[in-house]
Amino acid sequence: MISTKRAAEAASYQPSKRPKPNDEDLELQNEDDVIPPSPPDTSYVPRSATINFSALTRKLAENKRSTDVEPQSGNLSSFDLHRRQQDKLISHIFMDQDFSWLHLKLDHQSRPLWISPEDGHIILEAFSPIAEQAQDFLTAISEPVSRPAMIHEYKLTSYSLYAAVSVGLQTDDIIEVLNRLSKVPVPDSIVAFIRGCTLSYGKVKLVLKHNKYFVESNHPETLQLLLKDRVIREARIVTTQADNSIKAATFTTSKAPVRGNLVIPGTKEAEKKKDDAGDGKATNANRTDADLFTSVVGVDADEIEEDDDNVHAFEIKDDKIDDVKKRCNELEYPMLEEYDFRNDTVNANLDIDLKPATVIRPYQETSLSKMFGNGRARSGIIVLPCGAGKTLVGITAACTIKKSCLVLCTSSVSVMQWKQQFMQWSNVTDRQIAVFTADQKEKFAGESGIVVSTYSMVANTHNRSHESKKMMEFLTSREWGFILLDEVHVVPAAMFRRVVTTIKAHSKLGLTATLVREDDKIADLNYMIGPKLYEANWMDLAAKGHIANVQCAEVWCPMTPEFYHEYLKEQSRKRMLLYCMNPNKFQSCQFLIKYHEDRGDKIIVFSDNVFALEAYARRLKKLFIHGGVGQVERMMILSKFQHDPRVNTIFLSKVGDTSIDLPEATCLIQISSHFGSRRQEAQRLGRILRAKRRNDEGFNAFFYSLVSKDTQEMFYSTKRQQFLIDQGYAFKVITHLDGLENLPDLVYRTQDEQIELLQTVLVANDNDADLGSDIKAVEGDLAGTVTSKDFGPMKFPAAQRTTGSLAALSGGQHMSYIEQNKSANKAISRPSAAPRHKLFTKRDKDKATARKEARANLS
Amino acid sequence: MRAIKGVLLTCDPAVKQILLLLNEKESFIIEDLDDHHLVIKAEQEYRIRKELEAELEKNTYSLES
Repeated sequence: MISTKRAAEAASYQPSKRPKPNDEDLELQNEDDVIPPSPPDTSYVPRSATINFSALTRKLAENKRSTDVEPQSGNLSSFDLHRRQQDKLISHIFMDQDFSWLHLKLDHQSRPLWISPEDGHIILEAFSPIAEQAQDFLTAISEPVSRPAMIHEYKLTSYSLYAAVSVGLQTDDIIEVLNRLSKVPVPDSIVAFIRGCTLSYGKVKLVLKHNKYFVESNHPETLQLLLKDRVIREARIVTTQADNSIKAATFTTSKAPVRGNLVIPGTKEAEKKKDDAGDGKATNANRTDADLFTSVVGVDADEIEEDDDNVHAFEIKDDKIDDVKKRCNELEYPMLEEYDFRNDTVNANLDIDLKPATVIRPYQETSLSKMFGNGRARSGIIVLPCGAGKTLVGITAACTIKKSCLVLCTSSVSVMQWKQQFMQWSNVTDRQIAVFTADQKEKFAGESGIVVSTYSMVANTHNRSHESKKMMEFLTSREWGFILLDEVHVVPAAMFRRVVTTIKAHSKLGLTATLVREDDKIADLNYMIGPKLYEANWMDLAAKGHIANVQCAEVWCPMTPEFYHEYLKEQSRKRMLLYCMNPNKFQSCQFLIKYHEDRGDKIIVFSDNVFALEAYARRLKKLFIHGGVGQVERMMILSKFQHDPRVNTIFLSKVGDTSIDLPEATCLIQISSHFGSRRQEAQRLGRILRAKRRNDEGFNAFFYSLVSKDTQEMFYSTKRQQFLIDQGYAFKVITHLDGLENLPDLVYRTQDEQIELLQTVLVANDNDADLGSDIKAVEGDLAGTVTSKDFGPMKFPAAQRTTGSLAALSGGQHMSYIEQNKSANKAISRPSAAPRHKLFTKRDKDKATARKEARANLS
Repeated sequence: MRAIKGVLLTCDPAVKQILLLLNEKESFIIEDLDDHHLVIKAEQEYRIRKELEAELEKNTYSLES
């Protein structure tokens, strides 16, 4: 140990031979050399060599810095010296994360970000005046890690840089802008990283032009390099006029694509077009004045960059596409896929457009312009929050490409929603859009059209019905201009690969709200679909009123001793039921419902556990919907909730997670949930994000999670929140609801009642503890999206047998039955036929008699 | 009559339930006073605190795990 330390000292003494202008300074440095920078360890175990090693590297860096700074230190004030001394004293706290040797630029205060030299993390001050521009830039080049109110964290990854290049940013610009924004000079390691990633990424493009595949690049030398590879060389189609001996050097050269006159329908530019051209020029002039980074981030920037470049290309064989793609990935030249849809004459155009009344929002426009940046369609993923109009983005993209389009979603319910949305926003006719699910197998009429289906219908490999086999042949036999992938993050990688390889599509767009996978397989998506083109900032959208402002709270409900006692004894399955049915949770739920109903909110209560759902709803006399509730009753309950001012609360099971849209709801209470699923939490929040009243002054929506204290629920609850926290939501913890005890008709107030409740929970069937047992997945639904355990047919409860005399059971021995805890659902009367006007009742009667007579005459 | 050195423990009802369960494995409670108070053997206190800590830690989510 001592010897390594000596080495460290020796290394640092050498540069200190330089004349030091200040004795005090010298002393300081020496002192620091002697005192190890880690906290004094009391253990007798010798410190590991690694710590000393990192100390050594830091010291070297420090010395490097002191060579730069030393000349000025002569005129340092005593205050500065003091400051320095302080820095030295605290630097040991940070151990390996001590970056005090990164010296700040003189005007660092006006620059908003730091870059960590080791792992590429970028810390942004979100309160800085230029934070907004910086954010635009950072979302283009890096992955947002966490975006709370004040400080944002981003991370530079090879994929994010890949994405940056694919939207047209250049290496030098990225480094230049980073340098401008950074408080510290961009560390060499980061510069090297950026150069390394951007050098190879995005240089090669795979383009489908006139239905031939071309490998295209701005850099002929890259193509030559690729052609040295055997696999790629064999896949190449050699054009006849090219001289064989120098074939590697000759590429077809053409003008680079320009965004030109491509207009995304519904965007502002479409409107601008109608105005005179002079207006457009004025904005262009303004743009040149703007700061460099805005122009780099700017939508039209790549138009300028690529303008004067020529592109070089060679053609490759259709059937070798997969091999070439794979090979290019191995060579670290992953190919971007672009589709030059305007010059595609082989595939028939699909004549659809957005309805004139449809206006897309600014962020939707931005995301689309990332996709169509150079007049071609890029493949990639767009991330928008739930309720921010992902569907419309997809539809607009389809309307821009105007080719045959395949939409894949996760369940048959959302298939119908997509179709309905297409009909609502665009002028597509019923004949042009077809549905392919387990129940419906349609084909569109005409040359081109839209097919909506589910992943599993398309990826299914075994025993298909005759009809779906024919439908699949139809799907695989033709070329698709565009494939839209909804909820990309939930699709298993293997299934995805099957979809992507069986269906020939020119461009792919993935849509998702939560790019989190519980299994962290996001990298697969990058490779299979393309880079992330755009990710919206939730807080930003909320601030601009596109989605509602939400106050999140976690309410801690202590377990009652009896329940907790049973909880500790019980094994996992029943445990869940015990913490859901906790009387304190019951009371909190009742209190919150009462409180928000009095405020005039419309409330949705979510419970994954059907047993708990029914128990709560019955006890609190509210309407409820779960999988077992019939379709008619469901519709009735929903319309009551929407229109009846007396019905302000409904209880929903998992069926409400995705397929039910209730823009009236402004408050959400969660009493049981699917373990630690971050996606479900975000989805549920999405239920209230599109609240109708979101644009009211000072409007807030409320999101409560009721959690039983000291149980596993606490663990899951924190885990579930992580995604939303990273999006900038703050969860308040409420440990006590004020005024709870004074609620007049509080449920389960006495211990006897609570114990009675406990008894019902204990005798409950083991299966009652299952989550989402009410939902049955239909064939074609993706397993795991409809989070259900049982895929079999609905089981009917077995008959109960008891012995007793006939007289007793029929009430002869003074026994009577009364139904307690009646379901509130039963209370809503079936809508009887609306009373007819007197005038018509008479006419109806006459008609009926006439019909009767006619029948009598016949027989 | 042999005297046992004891410690008065104040806790919330939930923690008391955990303690009662631990007690079944290895007895350490001298007297169960009410929902919030227990008297336990003094020499066991350290061990009990450790085990209780471990039990409660199971329900805490940390980013590392």
